[in-house]
Order: sequence, then C-alpha cells, then structure tokens
Amino acid sequence: MKLAAYYWERIKRQRPAMFGLGFIIFLIILATLGTYFTKSPTKVNFDEKNLPPPGYTVEHSMYSAQNESFITTLQEGTWEHPLGTDSMGRDMLAQLVSGARVSLLVGLLATGIAIIIGAVIGVTSAYFGGAMDDILMRTTDVMMTFPFLLLLILIMYLFGASLTLIILAIGLTGWTGTARLVRSETLSLRTREFIMASKALGAGDLRIIFRHLLPNTLSSIIVLATLSIPGAILAEAVLSFIGLGDPTVASWGNILNAGQGSLETAWWVAVEPGVMLFLTVLSFNFLGDGLREAFDPKGE
Amino acid sequence: MVFWVRSYIAKRLLHTALISWGVMTTAFILMRIGPNSPADKYLAGLGAGHNVTQVVAAIESRYGVDKPLYDQYFSYITSLLQGDWGWSFGTSMPVMELIKTHWIYSFQLILLSTIFAVVLGIALGIFAAVRKNTAADHAVAFFSFAGISIPNFWLGIMLILIFSVKLGWFKTYYDTSLPMFSLENLHALVLPVFTLGTGMVAGYSRYVRSAMLDNLGKDFVRTARAKGLPESIVIRKHVFRNAMLPVITIIMLDMGSIVFGGAYITEVIFGIPGLGWMSLKAVFADDYAVVLAVTLIGAIITLLFNLLADIAYMYLDPRIRYE
Amino acid sequence: MENSAVLSVDHLQTCFFTKKGKVMAVDDVSFDLLKGEILCIVGESGSGKTVTALSILRLIDHPGRITGGKIMFGKKNLLELTIRELQDIRGNRISMIFQDPHSSLNPVFTTGDQISEAITAHRSVSRKEADARAIELLELVGIPIPEERFHEYPHQFSGGMKQRATIAMALACAPDILIADEPTTALDLTIQAQMLDLFSELRKKFNMSIIYITHDLGVVSEIADHVAVMYAGRIMEKGCRDDILKNPKHPYTKGLIDCLPSEKGKPASIPGTIPNLINPPEGCIFHPRCRFAMEICRLRRPMPSKTNNEHYVSCFLYGDI
Repeated sequence: MKLAAYYWERIKRQRPAMFGLGFIIFLIILATLGTYFTKSPTKVNFDEKNLPPPGYTVEHSMYSAQNESFITTLQEGTWEHPLGTDSMGRDMLAQLVSGARVSLLVGLLATGIAIIIGAVIGVTSAYFGGAMDDILMRTTDVMMTFPFLLLLILIMYLFGASLTLIILAIGLTGWTGTARLVRSETLSLRTREFIMASKALGAGDLRIIFRHLLPNTLSSIIVLATLSIPGAILAEAVLSFIGLGDPTVASWGNILNAGQGSLETAWWVAVEPGVMLFLTVLSFNFLGDGLREAFDPKGE
Repeated sequence: MVFWVRSYIAKRLLHTALISWGVMTTAFILMRIGPNSPADKYLAGLGAGHNVTQVVAAIESRYGVDKPLYDQYFSYITSLLQGDWGWSFGTSMPVMELIKTHWIYSFQLILLSTIFAVVLGIALGIFAAVRKNTAADHAVAFFSFAGISIPNFWLGIMLILIFSVKLGWFKTYYDTSLPMFSLENLHALVLPVFTLGTGMVAGYSRYVRSAMLDNLGKDFVRTARAKGLPESIVIRKHVFRNAMLPVITIIMLDMGSIVFGGAYITEVIFGIPGLGWMSLKAVFADDYAVVLAVTLIGAIITLLFNLLADIAYMYLDPRIRYE
Repeated sequence: MENSAVLSVDHLQTCFFTKKGKVMAVDDVSFDLLKGEILCIVGESGSGKTVTALSILRLIDHPGRITGGKIMFGKKNLLELTIRELQDIRGNRISMIFQDPHSSLNPVFTTGDQISEAITAHRSVSRKEADARAIELLELVGIPIPEERFHEYPHQFSGGMKQRATIAMALACAPDILIADEPTTALDLTIQAQMLDLFSELRKKFNMSIIYITHDLGVVSEIADHVAVMYAGRIMEKGCRDDILKNPKHPYTKGLIDCLPSEKGKPASIPGTIPNLINPPEGCIFHPRCRFAMEICRLRRPMPSKTNNEHYVSCFLYGDI
C-alpha cells in the first residue's frame, strides 16, 4: 500500500497523466450513470431530424410535393437536444453516452483478455523454455504477422458481427505484445536469487509463476495494458465505421459512419463522436505514458 | 559478404518460410471453423437466379470440400504456392488479376504518404532533439501526442468536412480513367496523404527525437566536438547517421500495419481504388476468395518488410556488415 | 631559464546544476602548463580531474556550466571566445583524447575517415591529401599496415589500436597542447607501458605540452614533469614530480602515496570517501578524512602556500595562517 502511495505521488506530478485520468473517470461516470439522464439513443423521430446543437442554425431544403418546389427552412438547435440530433432524429447526447459505454466495455474487456492470454503465454514460454518456448514464440510470430485490422475484418466477415465477438476477437488477437514483453521480463527474472531460492525450497512451478514472476512484471503489464486500451477502442471504432460493427448498438464508430454520409447537412454528427474518441485515446495515452514515467526507476 | 552474413540471411529466410506456412495454415483453420462453408458464402454473393445445386457442386469440387480434411489442406497450400489464389465471383476474374489491377493505387498512396511522413518526421524529430526541453520541443511533443491519438479515419472525415465541403479547396474523387500522376489525381490525393501521413509523422518524429537524444550523449559526439567540428556537422554527420539505424528499422517494421491499417481505411474514406477499398468491397459483396487473399497478402507484406528491415540494418551497420 | 606557460588556468570553477542541488565539481582550480612539459593531474575518481580537462575545451554538457575563472591560452581567454573561435582551437591548437577508446570512435564511419575529418576541419586541403596525412599519422602512432587499417571500422581495431587511432586523430593538426584523460585506464597493463612511451616520444616529436590525467601515481612517476593533486574539486598540492612523490606535504598526497602497493605488504587506503559535493564540509574539504585535522581546518579554507620553489600546498600544517 505504501508503494501505491509512492507511485501516486509520482503520477500526481504529471499534468497530462492527471488530465487523462480525469477524463477517463468522467467517461466511466458518463457510461454508467449517463443513461439514467439521457433519452433513448435509438428513439427515431423524423420531425426532429438533423437538429444542430443549440446556438447553431442550419438551412434545410425539402421538396414539397404540394407546391412542387423546394422549401428552405431555417432550423435552430434546442436545449431539448443539447448536442443535436442525427438524420433520423435520434438524440446525439444519448448516442454518445451509449458509445462511451461500448468503447469502455471493448477497451477494458478486450485488453483484459489480451493481457491475461499474453501473460500466461509469455510466462510459460520463458519459464519452461526449450520446445515449449519455440512453439509458443513461433505461434506469436505468426499472429504478429497478420495485420491486426485485416485479421479482425476476416473474423467479422467469417463469423458475423456482434459486440461480444468483437471483444473476443480483439482480445484473442491482441495478446502478442504482452506475450513478448512478459517473456523477456521473466527471462531476466528467472535467474535472480529469490526465484532460485524459492525453487531450492521446493516451491512448485505454479507457485513460482503466480507468487513471484507475474507480480514482478506487474508494473510493465499495467503500462502496456493502459497503452493497449486505445488500440482496442480504435479497432472497434474502425470496424463499426466501415460497417462491420454490431449494428444493434450505438457506438462512436457507427455514429461516425452515419455522420460521414451527412457531412453536408449535419456536420455535428461526424464531429462529436470523433472528438470523444480522440479525447479518450489521448487520455489513455497520457495516462499510460505517465505510468511508465512513474514506474521507471531511472526517473528519480 | 562473409559466410556468417550469408548463413544469417539463410536462417532468416527459413524463418520467413516457416511463418508463411503458419500464416497460411491459420487462414485455412479460420476458414474451416467459420460457420459458413465457402459454398454458402458464394451463394450469398451470387444472389438468386442460379442453379443452386450446380453451383454448390462446382464450388465444393473446386475447394474439395467432399474430400478428407488433409486432402483439402494439401490442395489449398499447393494452389496458393502455384499462384492460384481463387476466383472472384463478384468481379468474375481470378483474384490474382484483381490484385494486379488494384495494388498500384495503394502503392501510390503509401509511397506519397511515406515520403511526406519521413521527410517531415525526421525534420521535426531533429528539431525537437537539438532544442530539447525548450518550448519548441514541447510543441513538437504535443503535436506528436495529438497526431498519434487522433483516429485517422476521423481526421480524414474532418479534412473532407473542412477543406472539401466547407471551403471547397480539394475534390476527393480519384479518377482511374486519368493517369495516376495526373494533376487531378495528385490534387485528389492531398487530403488522403495528409490523413494517412499525420499519424506517421507523429510516430516518426518521436522515434527520431529519442534516437537523436540517445546518440547526442555518446562519447563519440564529444570526440567530434573536441576535434573542432562545427556543431552542424556534428549533428548531421555523427549523430544523425547513428540515429537513423534504429529509425529505418522501425519505419520498415511499421510498414505492414500502415499498408493494411491506416492506408486501408484512408482508401475506404476517399474512395481510392487500392487493395483496402477492393477488400472491403469484397467483404460486402461476399466475395470470399478476395477477402482471404487480401488477408494473406497483408501477412506476406508484413513478413517481407520484417526481412527487409533486418537486411537493411545489417547493411547499414558496419559492426554487423564486417564481422 | 624560466619556461613560459602556454596555458594558464586561473580560479576555474565548474558546477553541475542537478535536481538535488548544485554540485561544485571544480572549485577554484589554478595551474600553469609550461611549453613542452607533461603535467599530470592526479586524484581519485570523482575528484574533478576530468571535469577540469573538459572545462578547458568547454566540452561540459548540460546540466554542467563553467561558473568562474579564466583559462588563458596565449593572449586569449578560452572562456570568452565565441563558439566559432573555440572550434578553431579545438582539435587544432588544443586536442583531447578520452578515457574509453571503445566509445569515443563513431562505429558507423571508418577510422580513417574520422582522422581525415579532423584535418579537413582546420586545414584547407583536398580529401586526398587529408587521407594521405591520416595514413602517415596512423603509422606515426604505431599502427601496422596503416593503408589497410585506414579503411577499417573501429570495431575491427583492438582496444589499444583504437586508442592509438584517437591519438592520431588528436595529433592531426600538430596541436600545441594535448589533453589526455586517463588514456590507458581502459587498456591492458602491457599496452599501458607502450602507450606511456608513445606519449613521451610524441611530446618530443611535436614539441607539445601534455596534460595527462590519471589516478595512478605509478604513471605519474614515469612521465610527469609537474603534478597537481586534486581532491573533491580542489587542488591540494602541486609542484614538480620529485617534490610531490618524494617529499609530499599534504596529508592527502601522503595518503595516496601510502596506498601504493609496496614490498611491506598490502596497500592501505585512505579511510572514508569523497564528500558529498552538494553539501561539502566547511573549511578544508579534506578535514573529515584527515589524520591531522585541527580546529581551524573545520572553520577556514586553506589557501595555497609556497613551501619551496614551485611547490604549493593548500594545508594549514604549512605556511602562515
């Protein structure tokens, strides 16, 4: 606990990291409690379509069959929809909140899966060495050879898109970096005295792995996990953006996809989810960098 | 070249071959454990109006689905090695032909973006390194962080919104009937190059800065200064040359993920008819063989760049070249 | 005949501004270097010898800075020159070689190229002439088959050969002064002896003055004309070689000499360690380790006093208080 307090002191000094942490906390609150205060993200209302945020006005031209001419109306944003609505009249704020939930879910769960698989493979590979190491590391090489996005697209294509599958796919393909890192850290730890001592005392392999090796690589794992979260979030966003995401949930990528089509009529639909995505990725990057600095023993 | 180097390259080639085999096998397994058989996928792509049983029979015999699994696997590998990458039902031509017509557009986009990113990234990296801890350095660091964090597909959309929709400066229509390097097409490529290049610039400037700083503290830099060399030569010759070793390697290792990550999305956003655009079209047209082929090509290109990075490093570093 | 000084360092002060505080690495150091002589600066590691040497050519890196004093080279104060004027002197009039030959050569350029570069930086000669001169220099410092060696990379040289190459580089423009910072420390003992011979020989051939920095009194006894003993950034005692080695005055110098291995038995060492230079002890900086420390040593800083011709010692045991 003392150690945690020590690292907290060191992170507190870094402003970008604190900004990142602040925004992430905000995002978590938004994703968990936001839905109680916002409208339904899926409620369609064509009477209120393409409403800009309050303070902006846009012209809408509509063909009127009665007059056989275009009628141009000025539409003004209302506080009813503080971030406007999209082309189907869905509330943008509600959609962004839903998107935050999706992004955090994907970011945390997929990274969690990837880190666990990577840590197990890395530590096994280093600890047992020999043929086991060869097989696991060549498998890692094969996985790393596939461009991440292509592999995800192939999986989505073959198995069909759902949020669960997206999370699983990102987790099951994104572990290679962790495996390599944990392996190299374990290799350098394996010959250290305290490991040798526990071996001499007759500790079993599992005990050594879980009591000694993994805890000692924890700080690197935490940093890597923090820096991997934006990758997972972006992967989901890209998939949704190109139309391979889960069509049943409002995620930032889905909204962006819709927004790209209505750039001329409703710019805010493409701007808002992107800003959220950008700030989220930036925050995790800032935090990850800050953690790395804080854990770096040279950084005294 | 000495024997040692040759045997090293031989070893790397062997490793590459082994990984390629692993890649092909993984693709085969993915294909077979998918819920839909190739025939289902093709049928979905063909739509109505075909003699279903005939098509199924044709496809199943082509893919040998009726044969035992090891037979299927064997014929899959041999046809890949012979350059037979399947038939695109969506476009009615061999997949290889399709790739041959589309790769050049990806190549053009990536070439231009890489030139843009390497030049600007190196310049910014050096600039930041020699001005370490000044306001200029912090500004570059801030830009890099933003550039790395900004999702490039969103950046692309924002560029279209601002420069194309609002200001009308750039059209974003790539015309394949015009020559590739015609002014119209180059004009249409400005925003895509910027979209793909920004993240690369940000990444490269960080690599270059840290590599420059690593080398600025080296003893041989002090020796160079003690010789009375002007600071500009010290930086350009002694620091830069050494800093470029890891940077070139990293740039090459990144290539695979750029070609089939950033470039893929950029092509989709701007409608550039490269491999990424083609591949996504195939996904939606359920053109099975194309999707698989692009995935395999992605892996092979990554492998080639890994190999190239190794060889480049060996060639550039005299400590490895003469041993 | 009194020799004239080619370089005089006067009240030099160099500090490092670290996060934990200001470190006085060189504090009020003065000495003269005479024409054609070898001056040894001797002291334990951390005594400020290297920083003194680097300060002469203003090669101190951030966070260090020269904060006071003068370094007169002829009529010029090196500390007041512009960086361009200084670059004309570096490697041309005053050269320096460093402790670790393995890291002081750039691994990606040929050794020959790095020597030629030192020539073309200061002389308007063609590339070819510079290369020819570089090959001569390689031969001069005792590298066999210099024409071939010229085209080889540093990693193809042994440690001793690398150091010879850096010496060739330093001699490229026949400097007036050569500063050698522990040039043999990283090398084998057998090579050390050859190197010392090389320095004596080159000094005569080029008629140059050498500042030779070492922690090894054995080396001092072989090549020095004059000696300055440094401790914790200050000069404790300076004088000609025989005075310092045979008749040391300062308790620190005596301690160093007692530490030399002798027939009597194991070498002793001076008890204690070099003090923390962020909060150095008041008074004489050596007093916490000094057997003869008196009350005044804790309070006041001793100034150098002359004991006999050219022999100065900074200690309250000698001279007037």
